[in-house]
Amino acid sequence: MSDLALDTASARFVTAAPARHVDYNEDIVRKFLIASMFWGVVAFVVGCYIAAELAWPQLNIAPWFNFGRLRPVHTSAAIFAFGGSALFGTSIYVVQRTCRAPLWGGKALANFIFWGYQFFIVMAALSYVLGFSKSREYAEPPWHLDLFLVVIWVAYLVAYVATLLKREEPHIYVANWFYLAFIVTVAMLWIVNNLTIPVSIYGSRSYSLFAGAQDAMVQWWYGHNAVGFFLTAGFLGMMYYFIPKAADRPVYSYRLSVVHFWALIFIYIWAGPHHLEYTSLPDWTQTLGMVFSIMLWMPSWGGMINGLMTLSGAWEKLRTDPGLRFSVTAVGFYGMSTFEGPLMSIRSVNALAHYTDWVIGHVHSGTLGWVAFITFGAFYYLVPVLWKRTGLYSTRLAAWHYWISTLGIVLYITSMWVAGIMEGLMWRAYDAMGFLQYSFIQTVVAVHPLYVVRLLGGIFFLIGMLIMCFNLIMTVKSPSTARGNVPGAALAAGA
Amino acid sequence: MRLPISQSFIERNAIVLLIATLITVAIGGLVEVVPLFTIQTTVVKVPGIRPYSPLELLGRQIYLREGCYLCHSQQIRNLRDEVARYGHPSIAAESMYDHPFQWGSKRIGPDLARVGGKYSNAWMYQHLKAPRSVVPESIMPDFAFLAKHQLHTKELIAAMKTNIDLGVPYTKADLQSAMADLQAQAFANADHAGLLSRYPNAMIVDAKGGEVTQLDALVAYLQILGRMVNFANPAVERALQAQGGK
Amino acid sequence: MKAGDLIIGILMACLGLIGLYAAAGALDLEMSIFGWSLAGFAVVFVFGLIKHHYDDVDAAHAAARHAAAGGAGHE
Repeated sequence: MSDLALDTASARFVTAAPARHVDYNEDIVRKFLIASMFWGVVAFVVGCYIAAELAWPQLNIAPWFNFGRLRPVHTSAAIFAFGGSALFGTSIYVVQRTCRAPLWGGKALANFIFWGYQFFIVMAALSYVLGFSKSREYAEPPWHLDLFLVVIWVAYLVAYVATLLKREEPHIYVANWFYLAFIVTVAMLWIVNNLTIPVSIYGSRSYSLFAGAQDAMVQWWYGHNAVGFFLTAGFLGMMYYFIPKAADRPVYSYRLSVVHFWALIFIYIWAGPHHLEYTSLPDWTQTLGMVFSIMLWMPSWGGMINGLMTLSGAWEKLRTDPGLRFSVTAVGFYGMSTFEGPLMSIRSVNALAHYTDWVIGHVHSGTLGWVAFITFGAFYYLVPVLWKRTGLYSTRLAAWHYWISTLGIVLYITSMWVAGIMEGLMWRAYDAMGFLQYSFIQTVVAVHPLYVVRLLGGIFFLIGMLIMCFNLIMTVKSPSTARGNVPGAALAAGA
Repeated sequence: MRLPISQSFIERNAIVLLIATLITVAIGGLVEVVPLFTIQTTVVKVPGIRPYSPLELLGRQIYLREGCYLCHSQQIRNLRDEVARYGHPSIAAESMYDHPFQWGSKRIGPDLARVGGKYSNAWMYQHLKAPRSVVPESIMPDFAFLAKHQLHTKELIAAMKTNIDLGVPYTKADLQSAMADLQAQAFANADHAGLLSRYPNAMIVDAKGGEVTQLDALVAYLQILGRMVNFANPAVERALQAQGGK
Repeated sequence: MKAGDLIIGILMACLGLIGLYAAAGALDLEMSIFGWSLAGFAVVFVFGLIKHHYDDVDAAHAAARHAAAGGAGHE
């Protein structure tokens, strides 16, 4: 497998001449993988807990474990800690392999990026629980942690670009375009959205530079593109490397990759105002946001087709390779969420859906179905490679993980669809006399059973995650997957 | 179609790829965000909008700290049922001094943009301390601990000064009387004339036992929400017309 | 000592100093925790850099001795 190189001009795999030995930094990839799995468990546990708080409010333990303080812990742990660590790890793996060059900057820089990022995550979580949130959704850390992350991020960007610069391949492989767009754009978004004036440089409190309508626009320009570039572009990089690799097939269409990339990154950034329809943001901005959100459907599905069609001629691998099954299902969920998103941005649909649990369902079909599944696919592929094992400890357990998680997602998103549409309809229902038919609290009561189902879905997903952790730990530890000194030997045999 | 720069060239040059990507992603933001600061009608000041009083400002800090925005929006959309439920659609001027904005994105609880004055102080206190004692089906966490913690006022002047730097029009007189205003708003039996001249419509809350708690500040903040603008005032209507109703 | 180690070590030391300043002047609990943690993180990280450096030096010596003793290059 390691003798396969990527002919990037045509995005195809070719068998290269025996590659000279390159001293890849795999240690850092392993560290990020472990961190990602750890934070995944944390994120899902906290997610289940806050879901339970919404069903049974007695579970709120004031002040540290109230919903309002724990919810950012869940979102940050899921997006930045679990997703972020997976992106750091896989991007560093992919950039080295596709450039046939070791990570620039040596061990010290790599360790600085790793430990610095973990430090940021722990400090951020602590700051929310202690009550020092900046209260900007998905950008809650206090100002000094924002600055600290910028230092780490710049180090990451420098290491990444410098590795690209000393590549042995003439072309930069498509996965790297997406990873690079993720790194650059998140830097831009993070810096602009987090512009604040601290009350004192020795205090955590700060006031955001912008206010009101402008602040709302900046925040959702950031917030939506945290989805677009953190949770989409970065993980598309993962898709463009690991699906061809696991399927042992070239990417379906190079031209489609090019169109997918440029159209996606250009259009995504405009879609933010669809979070602010019918609000006091000017109409022209709302309309732009809606139109571009609908246009976004095209490149998204272009990418989905590119990912799925890569399997043409290799579909039978889905039966035997559980990692690939995760990756392909992820692309399916990607297609579904990127159809649902534009639909929800249409003004009349948005009038119903906004502020309801439908949005929560939509987000989770993307994060659980797409982000987490594409990550699981990469993990099942990478762990045997990185720890030099013949294959997975148990493909049966991986299959269990797959079905339990899928069931969890189905429970989660269907319960939230029903809850969201129910809320939307009840809020706008009028009685025969022309008065609002339901008080707000009646809608809270009505969604209670669905909140319980959602919690169940979350627990299923968490159980699946724990099964994977066990399976991967055993893959590393168990003698059954050990192999002799034959680097690159039959990974596919066990998988 | 021939582009001035070919894909093949871009993907052979990391720096070109980096710059091309940055330019591509910058455009949307520039077109959507920058005009909001230059087009005058984005936010039109209407009569009644004023900076938060000292107690309200610190109460807002508690609102941010506890993550209230995660369950409560402060943005009434221009839809028939929302207007029937919550009142006049929110206008941009109402959040023009909100650093950061708190429009929210999810209504696990109801919208709070016009919650001020809707309930008595007594109800507010009781509801925040033990929500289910007044609304049995409520799923809101208890905030009784806020009543046990003294309000930190150490940062008040610095916070107001930071707001001045950001364009919030606190005057020198506001700064000088900040601590007095805070005390006056907290206690029902204090002299409120100065406070109400600087911060019209400020709701006097009900601090007990000579000490201002975090709960007092939060109630003061919640009770001003939506009460700054009187939509029956024709001058407000004229100002709104000037920018198409926002 | 490699240049990369040195640069990262100096950067980390600067961050540690900033942490100490933040902890010393901290007006609130969060800033205090952040400051102390950053300083502690810097100390541990720089210690790790030094340790790895000498580990590498020792490994090189051991390998040299092994080679001198006529050992084969395989583990």
